[in-house]
Amino acid sequence: MAPSKRALPSKEAAIFKEILTQYEMRQLKKAIKNADLILKKFPEHGETLAMKGLCLTQSGKKDEGIELVKRGVRLDLMSHIVWHVYGLIHREDKNYEEALKSYTQALRFDRDNINILRDSAHLQTHLRAFDQLVDTRTSLIRLRPAVRHHWIGLAVAHHLNGNPIEAHKVLEHYESTLKNVPDYDVEHSETLLYHVRVLEDIGDLPSALSLLDINAKLRTIVDRTAIMESRARLLSGMKDPEAAHAWQALIEKNPDCTDYYRGFLASKGVHLDAPTPTARTQGLDILRSFAEQLPRATAPRRLALSLAEGAEFKSLLTPYLHAGLIKGIPSIFADLKSLYGDSEKRSIVQAVAEEFLAACTPPGSEAANSATQSVERDPSAYLWTLYFLAQHHSHRHRVPTSAPRFTTAPLIPTSRPIKAPRLLNSSEEDSSSSPGASSSATTTEAFAATSTFTAPASKRHSGVTAPLNLPEAISLLTTALTHTPTLPELHVLRSRVLKRAGDPIRAAAAVEEARRLDGQDRYLNWRSGIYALRTAGLEGLHDGPAAATQVWSFGLGLGHHSASGAGGAHTNGVNGTEPKAAGLPAKDADAIATRSREGAAQIEDAVRLLGMFTKKDPNNPIHPAADLEDMQSMLFLTEEAAAELRTGRVSMALKRYLTIDKVFGEIVDDQYDFHGYSLRKFTINIYLNLLKWEDQLRSHPAYVIAALQASRIYVAVHDNPAVLTAAAASVRLSDAEKKARKKAKKAAQKVQDDKKPAAGADDVVTDNGPTKDEDPDGLKALGAPDGLERAAKLLQPLQTYASSNVDVWIVVYDVAVRRKKYLQAVQALNRAKALDEHHPELHVRLVDLKQRVSNLPQSPPAPIGPLLTSSLEALFPADLTPEALNAQYLQQRSGSAPAAFAAARVLHKLGASREEVEGLVFATLQHVEGQATEPLDVKFALTVLGFLNGIGSARADEYREACAQRFELSTIFKTSKEISALKQRIKEEGLSEPGEALAEAEVTVP
Amino acid sequence: MNIRPARVEDLMGMQACNLQNLPENYTMKYYLYHAMTWPSLSYVAEDESGRIVGYILAKMEEEREGNEPLHGHVTSISVLRSYRRLGLAKKLMVQSQESMATIYRAAYVSLHVRKSNRAALSLYKDTLGFTVKNIEKKYYADGEDAYAMELPLQP
Repeated sequence: MAPSKRALPSKEAAIFKEILTQYEMRQLKKAIKNADLILKKFPEHGETLAMKGLCLTQSGKKDEGIELVKRGVRLDLMSHIVWHVYGLIHREDKNYEEALKSYTQALRFDRDNINILRDSAHLQTHLRAFDQLVDTRTSLIRLRPAVRHHWIGLAVAHHLNGNPIEAHKVLEHYESTLKNVPDYDVEHSETLLYHVRVLEDIGDLPSALSLLDINAKLRTIVDRTAIMESRARLLSGMKDPEAAHAWQALIEKNPDCTDYYRGFLASKGVHLDAPTPTARTQGLDILRSFAEQLPRATAPRRLALSLAEGAEFKSLLTPYLHAGLIKGIPSIFADLKSLYGDSEKRSIVQAVAEEFLAACTPPGSEAANSATQSVERDPSAYLWTLYFLAQHHSHRHRVPTSAPRFTTAPLIPTSRPIKAPRLLNSSEEDSSSSPGASSSATTTEAFAATSTFTAPASKRHSGVTAPLNLPEAISLLTTALTHTPTLPELHVLRSRVLKRAGDPIRAAAAVEEARRLDGQDRYLNWRSGIYALRTAGLEGLHDGPAAATQVWSFGLGLGHHSASGAGGAHTNGVNGTEPKAAGLPAKDADAIATRSREGAAQIEDAVRLLGMFTKKDPNNPIHPAADLEDMQSMLFLTEEAAAELRTGRVSMALKRYLTIDKVFGEIVDDQYDFHGYSLRKFTINIYLNLLKWEDQLRSHPAYVIAALQASRIYVAVHDNPAVLTAAAASVRLSDAEKKARKKAKKAAQKVQDDKKPAAGADDVVTDNGPTKDEDPDGLKALGAPDGLERAAKLLQPLQTYASSNVDVWIVVYDVAVRRKKYLQAVQALNRAKALDEHHPELHVRLVDLKQRVSNLPQSPPAPIGPLLTSSLEALFPADLTPEALNAQYLQQRSGSAPAAFAAARVLHKLGASREEVEGLVFATLQHVEGQATEPLDVKFALTVLGFLNGIGSARADEYREACAQRFELSTIFKTSKEISALKQRIKEEGLSEPGEALAEAEVTVP
Repeated sequence: MNIRPARVEDLMGMQACNLQNLPENYTMKYYLYHAMTWPSLSYVAEDESGRIVGYILAKMEEEREGNEPLHGHVTSISVLRSYRRLGLAKKLMVQSQESMATIYRAAYVSLHVRKSNRAALSLYKDTLGFTVKNIEKKYYADGEDAYAMELPLQP
């Protein structure tokens, strides 16, 4: 379009200018009116059309607005304004790539436009296009050298682009031009601290230190903690003996920071994690002297416990533990349990606690030991010791996996083992589970019937672990609760023990008692709400059509199986059989709908309970679940998803998992505003940490769970379309619900209508409320034809940021192999093998791959075909039949329940007889706690039972009963009827006796 | 328990901890805003396994009237119930206050507490030395009043 057509007569040109101002002032209605004035005369004026469109998109008329903008662009392709507007719209849509393209286009026609350059810089940072960013920042300096933060922006651009030396030069130049910096200028202080970091990144530690020291002395750097930490870090990096002093100064400033002690010890050659014998003695001397200097600090005392051994450990532990028990510190067990990797320490802790218990047992009680009189009998200490020992007996030590923990500021330049971030931060109970395994305590349990078993590799090969003694724990708690029934902590712990014993129903009742003791405490409310969620859908877990549809393929290699489960109709998808028609007998659909409705009501009850503490705004009421979603509660979202899944509401579960992905997307978007903001605030160090953190955000355990679970669901529906049919039945509305929904819709419409006539409020931006949920029950997502592609996308970040998690590679395989991406599939198995070569899930996948490849009608063309063959041979010896491999695996892993189960699944895949498969499945029962290297536990037994139900085994009920007997305190293996009856009874009568579970199971406590 | 300055990667743990303890919750953006504006004022307590069990989220009050001195403000502070009795709240508060005073030369620190939250009130008053300055009517979304409390800082 020729510029002549763009040029407006002076009157209209003035109006157009007005429009630009009005847009800036958010006077959108006025702007639109003005635009209409111009368009009346010049209907094809591109820039006006674009501006009007922009205003419309922000007044709730998004689609119409976008159309106008596009027309505007087409009519005036050479205008920077239309491209700028187009860029803004893309950015608003979070379509950053397209936005940047539009901005780049705009700059072609107005290369010195500051606003466009600045926005481009933000987009380039956001998209990590750092080389382009350097150009843009250079242009900004050229145009506006007087703006201080433009210099910082250029330095940051060079730094991000991998050129800290250039960043240093820019900063040096910038600092030399500064005049009259006021005292105590925080911005300048931050800039200098950034400069120190740049020098550190260059590797020039002496210059970094001297810049730091000079400016610390001049007081131009005002952040004392930052000065001291940087100093200690730099000196340590330089192996300067002064480092010890620097760490000591930090310890004196904050004696509760363990990092500082670690730094001090490292500077003396003592590394806490792998100390030599001399270093051990030296370290203990150092810590002793700190403990004497700082009588109120616990850190040196606690660190000494990690370092000490044998008799010395006992002599240090005794006062530490006694003090904690006398003071009634609830977390003393959580504090000590990381020492349990050392079984000698575990025994010593138990002995010290038991001695103390004997000493403070009140006289007159049966257990009082007449031989101990010297210790003052303290009823509070007595209770907390019972509490401590109950935790001790119900704790299963797990060796943490080596998943790297993200940290942006490695304070100490030593090799401290890094731990994975905690899963859900829910409560200490979950912290014992391995963060590396998707089978985290919180989700798997809910997911037990479907999820696969994963124990950390380290545990799997470390021999028999100390057995849980849950009856002992319950007995201790019974004593404590009889003594003092009003301490909420005791009830909370009791609920946790019951949960571990496989009794989620009494567990929920117990924690509800805790909640009632302190209704003001949100922590207790959470525990109760979550435990209530975990009781949803327990009915029908093992029987009826619902149970059968609940068993996904989930990478279990089940292939297709009948949704009804009746008669165990079963085809093997691996052998190329077409999937069964997705039909579902009407009565089965009805049964699923009924169960789902009951489950949904149970979920709703639990959510209402949580709602006691969610937002209460009388003017803007919000459902508790919606508030928890808005507040990005990962704990809620993962638990709720698991509950949905348990009640057979697969599409709802998928929806929740996808919500978690959405929340992570929001947090990634959150950084956008800081690309400009942090430069203006000069808070560069933390901003750079933000960028790094955002890059690997999806390594968060909640995302890992969500991505794996959603992918498993996509795989399941791919393998078995009946999953979709069953899901549709599960969210089917009853007639009453349909009516209620209609009514609610009408009411909502009325509220909207009532709100409308806001007279006079001309230029208030009308917000057309929350956007409508296009997929309220998740069925659209579940039925998406590109489910596997969606799964692959969800898994993508995990391959980089959760690559030490075996489950990730197993699921990556499951998705890739179904997408016929064979090389990616093989690669995934190689990664899994490198992490844990005997992993049971890997074993099943090896056979799966072998079968799939041998069933290919023809080998894929070169280079893929030959590569696939050779890679497969490396994984699966060519001279071995799958049957032989399976037998070999079973023999090698004879003490393992998960291995037996994996072998059973493989037999099933290979078409073995039902009897043979069942025989092997029942072998899992032989692996008893305390004897087997990997015993059968409650969660895993549920998975096995789910498999039996899924293949329509006639012996499923027998297995269920065997489990009910094996896990004597459990209720989760009861029949639906029994579960309903138990729930009902507890509802009416409560947990009458603290030891009810024990009494009922007639367990004798030694 | 490890008491240390909060880092970006702690913010999600802080958010989770806040949700478990208190009825006033915030989206991640708000935590990021604090960290990106006052990077040295927030502290965390982490347990042996690296879990955030307590935090203080703090800022400087930017709006001041006339010559009123600068002051810090505690947006949120809490410790998981199972990690109480260790004095963590006090330790977190002390570290944050020192940074407010040395970096920004804050003259005092303020905070709000629900009128009905007796446990928190006693913590602030008796353990941490805050005093009630006034009552802010209907400060909370549900209509509850807040006590506005203050504590002078040593320069």
